[in-house]
Amino acid sequence: MIKADNITKVFGKNEVLKGISTTVGKGEVVTIIGPSGSGKSTFLRCLNLLEEPTSGQIYINDEEITSPRVNKMEIRKNIGMVFQHFHLFPHMTALENVMYAPQKVKGLSKKEAEQIGKNLLARVGMTDKEKAYPNRLSGGQKQRVAIARALAMEPEIMLFDEPTSALDPEMVKEVLDVMKGLTETGMTMVIVTHEMNFAKEVADKVLFLDDGVLLEETEPNAFFTNPSTERAQSFLEKVL
Amino acid sequence: MNLDFSQIVPYIPFILEGIGATLKFVSVSILAGFILGTILAIFKITEFWPLKTIADIYTSIFRGTPLILQLMIIYLAIPQLTGYDISAFLSAVLAFGLNSAAYVSEIIRAGIMAVDKGQTEAAKALGVPYRSMMLNIILPQAFKNILPALMNEFITLTKESALVSTIGYLDLMRRAQIAGADLYRNFEPLFFAGVIYWVMVTILTLAGRYVERRMRQSD
Repeated sequence: MIKADNITKVFGKNEVLKGISTTVGKGEVVTIIGPSGSGKSTFLRCLNLLEEPTSGQIYINDEEITSPRVNKMEIRKNIGMVFQHFHLFPHMTALENVMYAPQKVKGLSKKEAEQIGKNLLARVGMTDKEKAYPNRLSGGQKQRVAIARALAMEPEIMLFDEPTSALDPEMVKEVLDVMKGLTETGMTMVIVTHEMNFAKEVADKVLFLDDGVLLEETEPNAFFTNPSTERAQSFLEKVL
Repeated sequence: MNLDFSQIVPYIPFILEGIGATLKFVSVSILAGFILGTILAIFKITEFWPLKTIADIYTSIFRGTPLILQLMIIYLAIPQLTGYDISAFLSAVLAFGLNSAAYVSEIIRAGIMAVDKGQTEAAKALGVPYRSMMLNIILPQAFKNILPALMNEFITLTKESALVSTIGYLDLMRRAQIAGADLYRNFEPLFFAGVIYWVMVTILTLAGRYVERRMRQSD
């Protein structure tokens, strides 16, 4: 479903990604972990072209999305993204946030979009906050609305960029629960996270990045019990 | 003290007619300046440099020269160069609208830049086209933040509108001057016009506060 081939990304003189290659199969849940500044988020953002790789190719369903001829907007319709800081539209209610893209991008009628929006808000447990503006919501609630907003486009792939890092500890679980529910629907998911237990529990595969290099790519049990590189060992000692 | 407001009473209807004349070209100028200013602001933030350069040069010219000079050039030079006999009204709307656009574009540009970059990213990630993103996501948030600055610009324009008296447009200011010349007393009609300007600006200020409150609903 997703294939990255030797992706590099350079910001000025700083080489953030140094040739990353990996694949994500349909319905697979992949978590990316690693120390701050290792390039996790940058790699994730390359997958929906919020960052353009300096070199290398990315294929989604066998289409090369890094080709200059490709229409980025078309690609992004099929890839939902959830951000660390939510980025809900502050001048729209929770429901309007979810309804916006189906109406504007897919051209659905207001009624159809409203139906989708209400269903999704119910799914993330936010029905009673449909009419609330984002600044009336807690961090966990905002993130659940943001997940619903991304799902409203019915994407095949969902990207999560540290979705619980900006939350108060007591709100982490409600967001992880929603994500866990999503893994059970067979959604293809790539998740950058610092929640090791969550990564262990839901992931089919763990990618460990350090200093722009993909050091490990294994199934979670092997990674968490017996990491093969020293970097991963010392990282896990610090965070577990 | 030589002060007699009763003498201007016969001139009151004549002066009051100036309110309509002033409001007519001020409102058209504000609207024109606002629309053109928004377009220029969007030019300024594009990565396409020719548009950016055009907008920057435009702003530089209209902010870098006196408004009264721009007004004179439009009113006097257009007939000389093209033979088209431009009316005082059209000259006024053009000068004030084009001039205001330069200032408004800077205000809006700053407002757009101040909107969290995450908003753009969220819209892009959803596949929202640029135009919709600007109109529905970025500009509404930008306008909310810059409303006080925009109101300030509109108030300035309303007061500066008195400059059109210099090209013979019968606005509030010009009518007060004419009444003054007829009566050989200037203080009373000018004072009267001053009060009217103050009332207009106050109404504009209150309207601005009202809109601001409405827009803060989501806070």
